[in-house]
Amino acid sequence: MIINTTILGWVTFIYFGSAIFYIFRMVTGREFWGPFASIIAFTGLIAQTVGLILRWFESYKMGIGHAPLSNLYESLIFFSWTIVLLYLIIEWRIKSRNLGAFVIPFAFLSMAYASFSPNVNSRIQPLIPALQSNWLISHVITCFFGYAAFTIACGLGFMYLLKGLGKDEDTRPFFRFLPGREIVDELIYHSIVIGFIFLTLGIITGSVWAYSAWGSYWSWDPKETWSLVTWFIYAAMLHSRFVRGWRGKRMAIMSLIGFASVLFTYFGVNYLPGLHSYF
Amino acid sequence: MKKTLLSFLSSLKLTIALLIIIAVASILGTVIPQQYGGGEAFRHLSPGLVKAFRSLQLFDMYHSVWFIILMGLLSLNLITCSLNRFPTSWKLFKKIPSLDRGKPFEKLSPDRILVIEGKPHEVIGRGENLLKKRYKRVRKKDTANSTVFYGEKGTYSHFGVYVIHLSILIIIAGAIISSLLGFNAYVNIAEGESTNTVYLGRQKGIKKLDFTVRCDKFSIALYKNGMPKEYRSNLSFLKDNNVIFQGPLLVNHPITVNGIRFYQASYGTIPGDQVYLTIKKGNDEEIIRKVRLKDSFYLKEKNAKLTILRIEENLMSMGPAVLINIQSPEGTMRFWAFEHIEKIKDRIPGLFKKVPKFNPGLFKPYYFTLNRIEKKYYTGLQLSRDPGVSTVAIGSFFIIIGFFITFFSSHKRLWVRVDEQEGKSRISVAATSNKDPVGLKREIEHLLRHFSYMRG
Repeated sequence: MIINTTILGWVTFIYFGSAIFYIFRMVTGREFWGPFASIIAFTGLIAQTVGLILRWFESYKMGIGHAPLSNLYESLIFFSWTIVLLYLIIEWRIKSRNLGAFVIPFAFLSMAYASFSPNVNSRIQPLIPALQSNWLISHVITCFFGYAAFTIACGLGFMYLLKGLGKDEDTRPFFRFLPGREIVDELIYHSIVIGFIFLTLGIITGSVWAYSAWGSYWSWDPKETWSLVTWFIYAAMLHSRFVRGWRGKRMAIMSLIGFASVLFTYFGVNYLPGLHSYF
Repeated sequence: MKKTLLSFLSSLKLTIALLIIIAVASILGTVIPQQYGGGEAFRHLSPGLVKAFRSLQLFDMYHSVWFIILMGLLSLNLITCSLNRFPTSWKLFKKIPSLDRGKPFEKLSPDRILVIEGKPHEVIGRGENLLKKRYKRVRKKDTANSTVFYGEKGTYSHFGVYVIHLSILIIIAGAIISSLLGFNAYVNIAEGESTNTVYLGRQKGIKKLDFTVRCDKFSIALYKNGMPKEYRSNLSFLKDNNVIFQGPLLVNHPITVNGIRFYQASYGTIPGDQVYLTIKKGNDEEIIRKVRLKDSFYLKEKNAKLTILRIEENLMSMGPAVLINIQSPEGTMRFWAFEHIEKIKDRIPGLFKKVPKFNPGLFKPYYFTLNRIEKKYYTGLQLSRDPGVSTVAIGSFFIIIGFFITFFSSHKRLWVRVDEQEGKSRISVAATSNKDPVGLKREIEHLLRHFSYMRG
């Protein structure tokens, strides 16, 4: 076993631990558990960063050096890395840990899928000719930051809908930590905006790459098409907010629908034939 | 009637409906195979359904009339609703609110009021400079016992959405230019061969280039683990037998010749014009000999000349075979040598009786078998000329600019009132913003801090 996959395997458990602490804090309604959750998540992020950098070095030692963003395993690792990074930035900015229980589990699931699924090959593989492009890094980074922002919006959507189950001033342990509706609504909006910009950049960098690799900036490949569908969903969401003033529950539900589309763009498309078969 | 049509075209309902319809249609296109005539889909669908799908152009959905109409409607919707809303934004951009009303200062929260040392007339001059530095269109109004300033920033934020919509229209325009004036084609060229005829995509026929492309060599480099590392075509481009460009073509590194871009798209093998023939004479050791098509060699003992007349990759579904011609003093004979003759013999008993020409031992005491046909690579090239690319690139650039204007800027309007309170100056700041209340709060705090530095 190569050292980086060992570290990244451990990160799976670290994120699991962090998720448990965030959920425990939520369920017991005691802030006491919060700092543990944050520190564990931060430790996981550092370890994961080290793991990714080591993987990068190891690929150079193997003589096939490339950024660790080139297959399903590496993309899943990077996905969870962007989720935790964005989440911790938000936690620090809004000074609240309430979102952790809804977001960190996604980072854990992504790591668990990468580490334990028999369909995901964790070996460092050389780049096939189509992937040997400078656009690989910018395309993958922008797409996954977009996906991560949409994941956070989805976590917020869940939170909003759960809040709807309780009363406005609920003091029961679980509901006590659910922030006010306007705040969640505002956060959903901001996450969607960030995600939308990154998704757009991801589509643009992807088309530039496609133009230099296949001679056509848009060829209705299933992944391209699905990314456009996702883009449409979030565009519709932003318009209904800007023009119609949609807020709250509708936005929460749309953030879940949007995320379902993101997931299909990421995973579902692999079951359809197309140019993105290596991801 | 005219008005209702216009309001329908510019409605958000239409936008959302179109986005949903286009999304659903696009999804359909990822499920139904997009090939000419439906390809594989034939086997799973009834003939009636195939016919229905075909008439709806579902096998080439993204280029179908109805899909293009949907896209056209979306563009029209984008144009009309942008035009509809623009005057309102323009008014918001132009308008400077009147200053003599006290309204902005009603119900002002205490943290937006600051009392500093110095008489108002001392503060006003410095305050005006401060505001002029930070804001645009600063206005001043003196009333009986106070002075009110107005200033604003980020007025351009009203136009972000138009930048985005215009960018989308530019991208669509680019796509139209691409599809009308550009072309996509492909061609397979075997090593050593050349051509000036290429096949247009979507079965639109052939195209003659005004130069010739020759594939000098195709090669594959592999990594240690067997994965492909590099596909390389060494190409020469010729015009009137003069080489106008020569170079290697690699994946991700297209070559442009006379405005046409060439891409390394695929490769494959075809039977070459060399074969390896296994020759067995009586009970002697087998020998393997390499022969080129139409070339000959001599079988000395029998004073015979052997020539390869034809090479077939799959003769009558019986696999690879070569047609051998033997000229000897005994006469001329022709027969086929198969690669898998043993298997064929077993499958068809009495074959040599029925078809003596398939008997590889016809010229005694020799027995010929085809060892293998040497393969030859061909390179699969994708060609394109796309005059719409720069337009699409411009649209893509401005859409990002538009996002930043729309999402990260806001029109902030501030009113600052300076009046006297017990010999000191009282400064009240009121403000509004079209979005981003958090940023506005930060802006006010910032301004008040600057005023507080003026003290003393």
